[in-house]
Amino acid sequence: MDSLYSVSYGISHAIAFALGSILPSGARAAIESSDVVVAFAVLIFGVIILAATMINTIMLIWWERKLLGRFMDRRAAMHVGFAGLLQNFADGFKLFRKDTVKPRDADRLGFYFGPTAYMITSLMIFGILPISSGWDTGALPLTLLLALAIFAFAPLFIFVSAWSSNNKYSLMGGMRSAAQMIAYEVPLLLAVVAVVLVAGSFDLNTIVYEQQNYWFWGPLCVALVVFVAAMLAEMERIPFDLPEAEAELVEGWNTEYGGMFFAFFMFTDYLRALVGSVLVVLLFLGGWTLPTWVPSAATSFPLAGIVWFMVKTYIVFGLFVWVRASLPRVRTDQLLRVGWNRMIPLSLLSVFLAALVVMAKCLPVFGCLPSVGT
Amino acid sequence: MQPDDLARTLSPKLGDLLLGVEPFEGMAGRVRFRREGALDLFRVVRDDLSFTHLSMVGGVDWVDHREVFYVAWSDSLRQYLLLSTDVPAEDPRVESASSVWPSANWHERETWELVGVSFDHHPDLRHLLTPDGYAFHPLLRSFKLHEPEELEVKSRHV
Amino acid sequence: MSEMWINMGPQHPMTHGLWNLRVKIDGERILDVDPEMGYLHRGIEKISEDRHYNEVVTLMDRSCYVAGLNWEHLYILASEQALHISPPERAEYIRMMCAEFQRIGSHIMWYAAFVQDIGLMTPFLYGMRDRDLVLDLFQSFTGARMTYEYMRVGGVRNDLPPPFLAQARKVLDWLVPRFKEYDELCIGSDIFHKRCDNLGVLSASECVRHGVTGPMLRSAGLKRDLRKDRPYSMYRDVDFDVALADGADVTGRYLVRMEEMRQSIRILRQVLDWLEHHPGPVMADQLPRWLGAPYAPVGKEGYVLKRNYAKGVGFSSIEEPHGEAQAYVVNEGSERPYRVKFRSPVFANISAARQYLVGYRVADIPPIMGSVDPCIGEVDR
Repeated sequence: MDSLYSVSYGISHAIAFALGSILPSGARAAIESSDVVVAFAVLIFGVIILAATMINTIMLIWWERKLLGRFMDRRAAMHVGFAGLLQNFADGFKLFRKDTVKPRDADRLGFYFGPTAYMITSLMIFGILPISSGWDTGALPLTLLLALAIFAFAPLFIFVSAWSSNNKYSLMGGMRSAAQMIAYEVPLLLAVVAVVLVAGSFDLNTIVYEQQNYWFWGPLCVALVVFVAAMLAEMERIPFDLPEAEAELVEGWNTEYGGMFFAFFMFTDYLRALVGSVLVVLLFLGGWTLPTWVPSAATSFPLAGIVWFMVKTYIVFGLFVWVRASLPRVRTDQLLRVGWNRMIPLSLLSVFLAALVVMAKCLPVFGCLPSVGT
Repeated sequence: MQPDDLARTLSPKLGDLLLGVEPFEGMAGRVRFRREGALDLFRVVRDDLSFTHLSMVGGVDWVDHREVFYVAWSDSLRQYLLLSTDVPAEDPRVESASSVWPSANWHERETWELVGVSFDHHPDLRHLLTPDGYAFHPLLRSFKLHEPEELEVKSRHV
Repeated sequence: MSEMWINMGPQHPMTHGLWNLRVKIDGERILDVDPEMGYLHRGIEKISEDRHYNEVVTLMDRSCYVAGLNWEHLYILASEQALHISPPERAEYIRMMCAEFQRIGSHIMWYAAFVQDIGLMTPFLYGMRDRDLVLDLFQSFTGARMTYEYMRVGGVRNDLPPPFLAQARKVLDWLVPRFKEYDELCIGSDIFHKRCDNLGVLSASECVRHGVTGPMLRSAGLKRDLRKDRPYSMYRDVDFDVALADGADVTGRYLVRMEEMRQSIRILRQVLDWLEHHPGPVMADQLPRWLGAPYAPVGKEGYVLKRNYAKGVGFSSIEEPHGEAQAYVVNEGSERPYRVKFRSPVFANISAARQYLVGYRVADIPPIMGSVDPCIGEVDR
């Protein structure tokens, strides 16, 4: 139980040998061969990631609903399952049972391809993100860059589905979405550059290990602010949810979608919110590590890393929910102006500060900032 | 302002187009005028009597004739004024007040479609509450409730 | 994108009711607007001609569904003038109390809907929570939460139940700190100011030209409140200030409405004190018996004047939560009004839409139209 590989390999091995014992000897040798077991293990590996991601995303929706309910002085979902835990599964099943209505003049390929690709690309990110030591896909040196690259696909698919809906509101929502995501991609990446400078690597594992002695949110607080704000815009959450500003654009780029494809959009929005929260935890909040002054009992139980990682992720997402509960929505021009005129200078400043931190690490005077890697 | 004051101001300017000024409870008075003098009266009422705010335009169907009434408010006098004119049922038309009070625009559209009084030189006399092409004036007494009506409703946006 | 017309409505989250705002846009900028009404036209004025005087009250609740008691008040005042009936003093005070509570209810409803238009979800639920208390109060003496059918020609239907005054005071005490909370969520937020300052500006002279009244007019700094300028019911006897703001923008309208709720609470405290110390009848005596007659539809023979009663014309004008509402009731000596004409403040406020919308952006339409507080039930009638 020390890594995702060993778990999935163990399951695969057990299944292969259980099957082999009831099969004739020829088939038995084939199924118990190491190639088959490994191939099967990879499949199980993927299934585990997919299932964990989906369950977590749905739990995230529950978490948001419950938190929002508390902020709004009401009780949110409470009837299906304990404390409404199963409410979102019920809602999901309801949506999947519903008919998908395609507008007559909508472009068939784009209309169905857009949401599907939007969801699939966002799911892919979770194949890369580590959630605890050993619980990752392994030695990819550029995981962070790959994750952000896949994350940046979204505006394309949103625009495809908005345009092919053949609806004026969808089109306007799609335009806004593309403009917003492209505007905030730049400060987002610059804030990440600050982290990469200090950590000295694009590998998320290394970035977390670099934070064993001090989490990056302290020295890189400017980058954190930029990253969270840009992430809010990328996730299209209030106060930056204008692509789907329901008051003027009905539902923005997903106006024409219903049933399963609406569920895809909704699900993927939260998927991306989960990616955002996970990235904040990985880049700034020490990932699955805890500060050294925490008693070792808190980190020594099985799967402690995953537990602490999830706790941090949910707390970070809780902050996003808090923002949603207390801020109104900004306007497109204001958003873009803030993006280009404020966020980019601020992110450049954060890169500069990161460079100072890197220099400070080399100075013996600042012995308080030792680095593990050097 | 009392009805007598109103009459003193209005009669020299309007002459026989003014039919009379009566007292009306809760208002400065009720001015009856001939429809030919509508625009002159509106200008005098707005400019000389300071009734700058036109609140309401409405119509009453008296079967043999129709009455159009206007309610105006003066901020300096803090009073309402009721203006009314009679138009014959065969030729129900009166000059539009929207050149004097732009706020008359929608009220006159409504009066036109519901009471069937047409307003000359109205900038935008379209159906407001009833569908385009609606052939009835529902607030006429001849439009009976409890009877099926035959409608021919054209598409609103061609 | 080139210029295009989009239909905001009749089913659109912005509209708050059934109407259609046709907007001509170039990218995000508004070039022209054309409001289309009539989706909720029920012919209330026509149906009124077919009803007894007291039966029209039922229709008034449906006229504006968030300010039903104000519209009952309006109609009853005009009818009483047309029928030459005067109500007892206690009934007038109860009506005033209803009107002010309804104003608070309507303004809270406006607040909830308006803030949701600019993306704030939390105050929406706060507003609904607090409005429910007002509705509970109404329920305790009218039996209904929305369609009250409470006022009658010559008075009100029934007196207040004994525990009402204490309950009402409790609600007022609860509401005062809530308004502070509302302000913190909106006026305390920079984004709110970014969204709402200098938005939908309509100067006082333009307001007057286009017949715009109510909070929109007062936000432009013009001090006109019919409760002060032309006191009806017992407004002459209570002490309050007219809420004013400058700027003539969305923020100004917000401030005016918030202040109006505070002033309503001030009025209500005085009215509740009066009601506590002055018991008495709530219906005028010596009403004509037919006023209570049941509904009987007009037959094929049409409108027959069955009884002879003194003729008269009634006109009333009240400060409704949305602005100045007027009623014109013609009594031709029948048990049914000959003609009823209503002037809805929102009708005039929406008719000036081109003046305060053109030149802004699509994203500004919800806050601007929200600040108008459109209640389509009373526009279409």
